[in-house]
Amino acid sequence: MNRLTPSFSAATAAVVFVALALVPVLDSGYWTGQATRYVLFGMFAMSLSLLWGRAGLLAFGHAVFFGIGGYGMASLTMGLFGDGTVWALLARPWVALPVSVAGAGLAAAALGWFLFWGRGVSGAYLAIITLSVAVIVEQAVRGVYALGGDNGLVGVPALGAWAANPFDPVPMFYAVLVTAAVVYVGLDRLLRSRVGTLLTAVSANPDRLGHFGYSVFAVRLGAFVLGAAIAGLAGAMFVATDGFASPSLIGFGLSAEVLIWVALGGRSIVLAAFLGAVAVRLAEAFLSGLLGDFWLLALGLVFMGSVVLLPQGLIATPMLWLNNRLGQGSKSKSRAAPGPANEGMV
Amino acid sequence: MLEFNDIQAGYGQMPVLRGVSLTIEKGTVLALMGRNGMGKTTLCKACNGLLETTAGSMRVDGEDVTGMPAFKIARRGLATVPQGRDVFEDFTVDENLCLGGPVPGAIYDWFPALAPLRHRMAGTLSGGEQQMVAIGRALARKPKVLLLDEPSEGLQPSVIHEMGVVLRRVVDDVGLTILLVEQHIELVQALAGSVAFLANGVIAEQVPVAVLSDTLNDAEGPVHRHLCI
Amino acid sequence: MIEALPIFLDALSFVLILVLVASGLVIVFGMMGIINLAHGELFLLGAYTVVVAQGLGAPFWLAAALAPLVVGLAGLAIELLLVRFVVHRPLDTILATWGLSIAIKQIVVLAFGPGSHSVAVPIDGAISVGGFTYPAYRIVLMVVATAVIAGAGYVLVRTRMGLLARAVIARPDTSANLGINTGRVTQVSFAVGAGLAGLAGALVAPLISVDPQMGLGFLVPAFLAILVGGAGSMTGLVAGGSLVGGLDSLLGGWVSPVLAQITVFVLAILVIRLRPGGLFPGRGRRP
Repeated sequence: MNRLTPSFSAATAAVVFVALALVPVLDSGYWTGQATRYVLFGMFAMSLSLLWGRAGLLAFGHAVFFGIGGYGMASLTMGLFGDGTVWALLARPWVALPVSVAGAGLAAAALGWFLFWGRGVSGAYLAIITLSVAVIVEQAVRGVYALGGDNGLVGVPALGAWAANPFDPVPMFYAVLVTAAVVYVGLDRLLRSRVGTLLTAVSANPDRLGHFGYSVFAVRLGAFVLGAAIAGLAGAMFVATDGFASPSLIGFGLSAEVLIWVALGGRSIVLAAFLGAVAVRLAEAFLSGLLGDFWLLALGLVFMGSVVLLPQGLIATPMLWLNNRLGQGSKSKSRAAPGPANEGMV
Repeated sequence: MLEFNDIQAGYGQMPVLRGVSLTIEKGTVLALMGRNGMGKTTLCKACNGLLETTAGSMRVDGEDVTGMPAFKIARRGLATVPQGRDVFEDFTVDENLCLGGPVPGAIYDWFPALAPLRHRMAGTLSGGEQQMVAIGRALARKPKVLLLDEPSEGLQPSVIHEMGVVLRRVVDDVGLTILLVEQHIELVQALAGSVAFLANGVIAEQVPVAVLSDTLNDAEGPVHRHLCI
Repeated sequence: MIEALPIFLDALSFVLILVLVASGLVIVFGMMGIINLAHGELFLLGAYTVVVAQGLGAPFWLAAALAPLVVGLAGLAIELLLVRFVVHRPLDTILATWGLSIAIKQIVVLAFGPGSHSVAVPIDGAISVGGFTYPAYRIVLMVVATAVIAGAGYVLVRTRMGLLARAVIARPDTSANLGINTGRVTQVSFAVGAGLAGLAGALVAPLISVDPQMGLGFLVPAFLAILVGGAGSMTGLVAGGSLVGGLDSLLGGWVSPVLAQITVFVLAILVIRLRPGGLFPGRGRRP
């Protein structure tokens, strides 16, 4: 079986989030700040796992939506659009946040509509096109003076006064952690529902799904927009944490990185993708100093090896193994009632 | 000449062939019939190496070819005329024919209609002409065994009849061994010496072609039992 | 009008190099249905072969002749050690080759440093035509590139090897049933494609800055050229290369390189989306 049982999923997720919640106890300064960024990247990775692992859409430009969320948040809260009452309202971080997320979602709706209507592109063609889109968008953003050009936007305000103390990253960390947990639970429930089955179907056999009367276009577009919205949320919160929006958050570089995180962690299991991002960033923090230029080489080789030998992911594979071993105890139960017992599987 | 021993094969979790055993003597034509979905094309693919078998063995001219890659089986003397012809549309007739090796002049004797079409793009030919190219291409390899997968598919009756005549000539001239997978009863009657019926993943019955013809309309005859619902 | 000639010639030389790079890609994509994201790094290795040769004091033309052999061997190694394990999983091949491209880039950084190297132009001076002058090396490059492309086309269309390659591209299963060793054909084709990219890198080395990031700048336009022109035919390749390369180069001179690239990419995406087989689909791969 290549899905986790609900109980295993819940248990591992609980362990992960509780462990993360304890980080400020270990170091309420630098590492809490770092952990905030790792968790946000983890959220970003989860959104790609939805798109790629479940809906089968290999998007090589997913950072575009992360960046739209980020730049949207930055430009709104910094009042770049003007001083009028509407803009002043939108400059409030709790308003700017959902607006930025909506912006990312809308951009995805437009791009997704273009990509998926009619016969739609998928597979390798989708990868190349989204790669090109990422390159274009980064070039474009670097060229816009109002968005800070190559330097980006500096001085993005925090999410609120409670997070505004630059020496105390703890409140923001918990806000981010809670958001990530909510997103995780939401995705997990979504994927265990009928929607999850639809996504798997659209990735495995889109033609057959069409014959059953479902719109392949709608399913793909829906997944694309949801994935973009979550990425945009991560991006907006990232920029509010960092205080800084740079073109590196919206281009090909980050798009390729998140792919690596998700591939290494586990593309089909949302929690594994989350852990992939955290693990790679953590490894980078410790090893890139140690290994210097060898770090990227090691990462490239490990990535290659993982894709060839353990395509499910370096974290997902042992998770699945453990899940299946533990499940064997209750095998006799599930054999008796094949229908309902299997329906909750993700 | 061609031997299957308890061949099992399928797609993913789905077994299709559950133990097919068949022997085709040198110089004879065996027709394989069966309802759609029974595994005729699967057997063809297992035979010519495009599908891996999960159990069982296969011999061509006494040599064990089980598990060999497709091109090696082809080089051991098995030629295939695939379902739907599969000619190379952007190549000329000549190029199609010589893909397997140098073209013996005899090909154009067997298929005189192809001679004026030598330099035409195969994609511009009619279905019947393409079928001749596909068969000629297989014969150009001077094979020991010829595998034909539903050669009558998509062809009009007069063309099927002509094809039957040509194949009969080839069989008589060269003494070729043929495994003919077919639905079209008249072609089977024209060419085959015996007929095997594939049902539920195994060979359900094998009869000489005379029995087939005699019992064609019998409710108890093999044709009715294996081919009609 | 004559003042426009240098711009046109620049565009032509970019197009020819792009077609050389893309021909390797299209062989692999057409034959195996996979995308090799490390192809830009093969181009890179060709350029660095010349850098190494220059360091050893070897003449440029010797290095340029060696580059396709060296890179061709690298391509063979890549096929044997990586590609054939993922070839039946096209999306994973994209990722695995992306990982390879990261690894190769880093090896180059480790061996040569992250900065750029320059390669001396082997033929100094310029050719005067009418009232203007144009660098002689660029003219020679264009002649060599054209000759190689024409040669490759000849081999593909008029030799038995080319016939077998085209057969395997068109119908790999039927080809196998005809006794063609499709595995060997794809290996050799992969290596040849790599060699062509390596040659392109070597030829271009004296004209641009040779640094570890130079691969991507040619990889994406090459892919777009293939998808726009059509992955199934030689005509498609040349047409796509001309359109993408030509437009990028000409606009780049006129407006800004960034705006040119954006425009070309957007137009390319539109064409690919609206005409999925490309402008000259042939019978090759479809999305």
